[in-house]
Amino acid sequence: MMNYVKLVNFELGRFMKIYLVLIGITVVSQIAGVMVSANSYLNIASEEMNVNSLSMDAFLQMYGVFSMNNVTRTLWFFGPIALCAVTLLIYVLFIWYRDWFGKNTFIYRLLMLPTERINIYLAKATAIFFMVLGLIACQLALIPIEGKVMQWMVPLDLRIDLTTLEVIHSFEYLGIMIPTTFSQFLVHYGIGLMAVLVMFTAVLFERCFRMKGIILGVVYAVISFFAFISPLLINEFVFPMFLYPGELFILECVAGFIVIACAIWTGHYLLNRKIRV
Amino acid sequence: MIEVKEITKRFGLKKVLKGVSFTANKGEITCLIGINGVGKTTVLNAIMNLTPIQSGEILIDGEKISKNSYEKITFIPDAITMLPQMTIGESMQFMKDFYKSWNQARAKELLDFFKLKEEEKISSLSKGNTAKVNLLLGLALDVDYLLMDEPFSGIDIFSREQIADVFTSHLVEDRGVIITTHEINDIEHLIDKVVLLDEGIVIKEFNAEEVRETEGRSVVDVMREVYKR
Repeated sequence: MMNYVKLVNFELGRFMKIYLVLIGITVVSQIAGVMVSANSYLNIASEEMNVNSLSMDAFLQMYGVFSMNNVTRTLWFFGPIALCAVTLLIYVLFIWYRDWFGKNTFIYRLLMLPTERINIYLAKATAIFFMVLGLIACQLALIPIEGKVMQWMVPLDLRIDLTTLEVIHSFEYLGIMIPTTFSQFLVHYGIGLMAVLVMFTAVLFERCFRMKGIILGVVYAVISFFAFISPLLINEFVFPMFLYPGELFILECVAGFIVIACAIWTGHYLLNRKIRV
Repeated sequence: MIEVKEITKRFGLKKVLKGVSFTANKGEITCLIGINGVGKTTVLNAIMNLTPIQSGEILIDGEKISKNSYEKITFIPDAITMLPQMTIGESMQFMKDFYKSWNQARAKELLDFFKLKEEEKISSLSKGNTAKVNLLLGLALDVDYLLMDEPFSGIDIFSREQIADVFTSHLVEDRGVIITTHEINDIEHLIDKVVLLDEGIVIKEFNAEEVRETEGRSVVDVMREVYKR
């Protein structure tokens, strides 16, 4: 157990520089986005009211009040989120391959550690999961700060203040990343974790069997995908509309757990019996 | 004792090991010799469970390799096994964190012996110093068995001499060593046992001391005779 914790800590440390850069980009870009959006809105307001002599009511009717909604739809806001998501997606592959490639073959050291090899697998998955949660936590902390920046810049008459929850609800992608109920959290993050584990095991297939392993990895990923959606398929094609939504949800959870368990067990088997440096 | 029993290994259609068997005892230096591509490194990888074998068995003190075995056997490959951005000190700390058998006092001793500095980054080291760090990380473990893959490969004569000195010091004493090397001249006088590999099988296994004393021949002489056939 201690070795697992040490490995998680080590994996987090290895990605920390890039991770901090990603957080930095997100903070700077999103706050800049608030400033740019607010500034542009205020410029229009100033022009319409001072030059075109539009009353405030008429202006508000025409342009609406300023809120965080105006910010979340800009590239300044969702650009860094997309960047973080893409980086982490690439990192899911890179976290394994970097141990094999290059002059320094760290995989030798990892595989020769006096600990169960599955700890390496689980530590890498945990590190990715923590990084995602960390980025989400940053985003959650950033929204109120961005709200404050908006309040400093836009006068009360021209703006409407939204709570963090309202901002999340108003932007569908944020809603996926930041679930508001536990069942949503279970579904969104469970699927995410399952996808990461399936990807890890597929990578291990490739690392064990090289060219043949690519095919095996793809076949394994496809089987896992269909295993996961099998309750949906059964409810759609075999027994149409047979299950209640609650039953379907429970079956989906069971299917998800089976896929996760199979991914971990297969990963364990490959690391112990088939892996090669 | 390390027992390698009839191991076979295929890479695709090519059968690299066709039933290799030998033993290596504690307190002895066993040298695996063979031309390039004969499967010397594969044997070491197989002993450490770093590559799967098709058939055969490998036992370390009568047991199959498990996570606990890595506290009593270690492998020093020809490439460094630490991250390039780490310093030597950080690498030592990493080993200390994970291995109960890590001996910090011995690590410091080796650091002085090789004239290395803890704050040096792995990426900035010369090939010779990289090999020394690799050796340090393996030798500072209180393990019973050491596997070394080409420790002299591509390094200058002074580093080679320094590494060869390790074999005559207390740092290796009482341990079982399996070494693969092309630079046989550097350690010929230190070897206890020689295992000659060719085309995936052990073609000759002999006691180096015996050959030297009874036949008056060197290991290289025997190699010449065997491989010229």
